[in-house]
Amino acid sequence: MSERAGGPGAPPAPVPFRVLVVDDDADMVAFLARMLQAEGMIVESASNGESALSQVTAAAPDLVLLDVMMPGASGFDVCRQLKDHEATALIPVVLVTALEDSESRVRGIEAGADDFLSKPVKREELIARVKTLRRLHETRKELESRRLAAEVQRKDAIRKAFSRYISPRLADRIADAAGEQGDPFQGRAQRTSLVALFADLRGFTRLTEKTEVGAVVGMLNEYFAVLTEAAYQHDGTIFNMAGDSLLVGFNVPFPQPDAAERAWRTALEMVGRFAPVALAWRKRHGLDLGVGVGICAGDAIIGNVGSAHYASYTIIGNPVNTAARLMQMAAAGEVLVCGPVYERIRHLVTGRSVEGRGDVTLRGRLEPIPVYAVQATAGVAA
Amino acid sequence: MTAPDLTVTIAKDLADLIPVFMKNRQKELETLRRALAEEDFEQLRQLGHRMKGVGHSYGFAQVSEIGQRIEDRARGSDRGAIDACISEYADYLSKVQVVYE
Repeated sequence: MSERAGGPGAPPAPVPFRVLVVDDDADMVAFLARMLQAEGMIVESASNGESALSQVTAAAPDLVLLDVMMPGASGFDVCRQLKDHEATALIPVVLVTALEDSESRVRGIEAGADDFLSKPVKREELIARVKTLRRLHETRKELESRRLAAEVQRKDAIRKAFSRYISPRLADRIADAAGEQGDPFQGRAQRTSLVALFADLRGFTRLTEKTEVGAVVGMLNEYFAVLTEAAYQHDGTIFNMAGDSLLVGFNVPFPQPDAAERAWRTALEMVGRFAPVALAWRKRHGLDLGVGVGICAGDAIIGNVGSAHYASYTIIGNPVNTAARLMQMAAAGEVLVCGPVYERIRHLVTGRSVEGRGDVTLRGRLEPIPVYAVQATAGVAA
Repeated sequence: MTAPDLTVTIAKDLADLIPVFMKNRQKELETLRRALAEEDFEQLRQLGHRMKGVGHSYGFAQVSEIGQRIEDRARGSDRGAIDACISEYADYLSKVQVVYE
């Protein structure tokens, strides 16, 4: 191949444009290469279909100039294979066929060729066709990169919006799952099986009475930082934060077959992580506070609830209400769970103090439900 | 058959490719003769087809023209006609003059 990348006076190519010339005739390759190089293009060559395919796979060119009649894989075969694979389908292919060979043109069209060039090759025709395809290819590339940039921006916005409610891992999944249309949560209200976890601060009322406002907000921030960290650690989604209570959902918005186990580990982590904070507060403010948790599983509605002006992505239903009641009943460092959740986490709480509270009729519920109180001793990982 | 133009004008930027091109034509001539001796008409057809494609691309219309005839005659397994084409090709290659512009 020639040592020069363009004749004297040839316009410099702003973006390198790589052409793979495939022909079993070395003279033909040399001729085509010379023409293309004079236009500032970078030329590589292959003398048969098989090596052409492996060269394209190794480093995709911007255009393939492909002879039809070759021993082994024909130009049609190579073209078809390139067009059949997603990674190479967009590379323009120019089939070089004998003049007035209409049969070859038809077969070439069937194989997905982008354009044709007649042999013997006329210099002007070659340059005109390649230049046209180059422009087309560059436009397509630019559009694609613009589309990608917009896509990345949109996903980034979704990720940012949701990362305040859910773990970064979940935010990534939501952004990736989001289709071409904007809001991935629009019209998505649905009934689903989930595990709800409610946590709050035992002794919070006393805290607000005895501590000045500025300090309360700082302490609450410290407390919520600990709780959200614990929730994200186990891919829980935060649905509500009110006063000193936090509502975390599992198995939503994405399925988690081990939702109950995740909820338990989250509760354990909340109690554990809060222990040193509680210790510091006791020293500083003389207050004795701890985290109480309620967990319940069941069917609930998930979706955007509200009006056009104000909506919140939330979960509504029995398991949420029950988890709230259980939380109210829980002492500091205690996790109260409903029967089905206890069955799922039984193997994780061996060695811990577990107290069956029997069937409890909770406020607002007609049927009594079995309740278990599990001691979440700080610092012990299940 | 009209007498072929024995002077070929080639673009200057192809000049350095011509010696190799001419050497390959001599090799081609040998391959044609061998294929004819073996009566390998499929190979003769392919060689003719190739001559047709490459000749005119470089500016050697006559190479393409002879190639076209060899391709056609090979389809009909016309030994005598191909023999005549090969002789004509040998004669042409020995006399052709290249001018660069």
